Amino acid sequence: MAETITIRLKVNGVEKEVTVKPNERLLDVLREKFYINSVKAGCLRGECGICTVIMNGKLVKSCLVLAPEADGAEILTVEGLSRPGKPSVVQRAFIEKFGFQCGFCTPAFIMAAYWIVENMPDASEKEIKEILNSVICRCTGYKQIIEAIKYAIELKKQA
Amino acid sequence: MRTVLAFRTILPTFMYHRPSSLAELLELKAKLGKDAAILAGGTDLLVDMKMGVKRPPHVIDIKSIKELHVLEYKEGSGLIIGPTVTLRELETNSLLKEKYPVLWDAVRKIADIALRERATLAGNIANASPAADSAPALLVYDAKVELTSVDGSRLVPLREFFTGVKKTVMKENEVITKIIVPEPPAGAKGEYFKAVRSAEDLALVGIAALVANPNNPAERVVRLAYASVAPTPVYVREVEELFKKDEPLNKLIKEAVNIVLSKVSPISDVRATREYRLHLVKYVTAYLLRKLLGVK
Repeated sequence: MAETITIRLKVNGVEKEVTVKPNERLLDVLREKFYINSVKAGCLRGECGICTVIMNGKLVKSCLVLAPEADGAEILTVEGLSRPGKPSVVQRAFIEKFGFQCGFCTPAFIMAAYWIVENMPDASEKEIKEILNSVICRCTGYKQIIEAIKYAIELKKQA
Repeated sequence: MRTVLAFRTILPTFMYHRPSSLAELLELKAKLGKDAAILAGGTDLLVDMKMGVKRPPHVIDIKSIKELHVLEYKEGSGLIIGPTVTLRELETNSLLKEKYPVLWDAVRKIADIALRERATLAGNIANASPAADSAPALLVYDAKVELTSVDGSRLVPLREFFTGVKKTVMKENEVITKIIVPEPPAGAKGEYFKAVRSAEDLALVGIAALVANPNNPAERVVRLAYASVAPTPVYVREVEELFKKDEPLNKLIKEAVNIVLSKVSPISDVRATREYRLHLVKYVTAYLLRKLLGVK
């Protein structure tokens, strides 16, 4: 089936029309058409969360969204959080609290952290952990990630 | 379990359809039948397609059909949930938390937040997994499923909906158009106990318990339903009748546990053994009943 579909996406503020096959995932479109390489393919079945992005304000796994389903959507990835040399509050917190080890999962955790900071400014540690269930850190460095998120919430309050 | 292609990275090809009205959807489903898979949240369908378990030639995305996105409550008649309502919408609904605590508790315990933003309640039911967390909760509220085709609509009690592992009474041309959750008994409380190793796990055993009027035998309502203990979610009908008896609650709880154990038939699999599941059913059922009935 050679069927293709034209969709319109706004990724990190940039709007673009792209032609996709129905069986492509949002993940594929972001990597191959928008050159967003922070969004990675892990399990491709919604378990590891390494492909997490914010879609229309919601935390979603881009491996479980078909490209045509994302038509008209607004997508935010870690590339959209900062300008070169100017990390966002969440990114600064991850750096200062060593919220990463190998770095593979870091973009996904930053997006989850950003979502928490924006949507749950009074999140308890328990609530932070519940949200973080959606992303797996292969190095199991969760402690520093949680510390970084708590710190990011503080930084945001001070700002 | 069928042998699966765990390493497939590209999804099989299919025709993508996005009807904008229910009439259009029903026409498509009538024409394509089982060749067309319904795509709501996609958190089961796309995984099955990735794993090679399903290869539908057509995929029908129902999210653009506005009339299917309904979430409304009417005092007396209950709650109506459309098939595109996500689990996250239900989880964050304060009315659901207050009026239907067992369903709310089950919904928030499904997978993780990013999946709940996409996954739908109707999808959890239509997928008909024995481990579906929302099923026991909907069973204790005696929910009904509205199935619609070009030939019209019919209302099926959820207690008659599941026929086997991933099998339901749905016909090839039918789609779920509503889940109706009746008004719960006055003062009903309860919870969904999900036995897991880690939060995002599938239930080793899931138990929904609903209790109203614990101290008045004539008015007392006790309902129990289970996930991951049989080929389908299980509602144990006999328990409600049992608790109408004017007998000591401790005695009734023991009898209820025995009835439940006679109605479940768990298997051993990678997640737990049959023996461990039976152990969980026995002790957690007694624990929940004691807690909700206020028995020491």
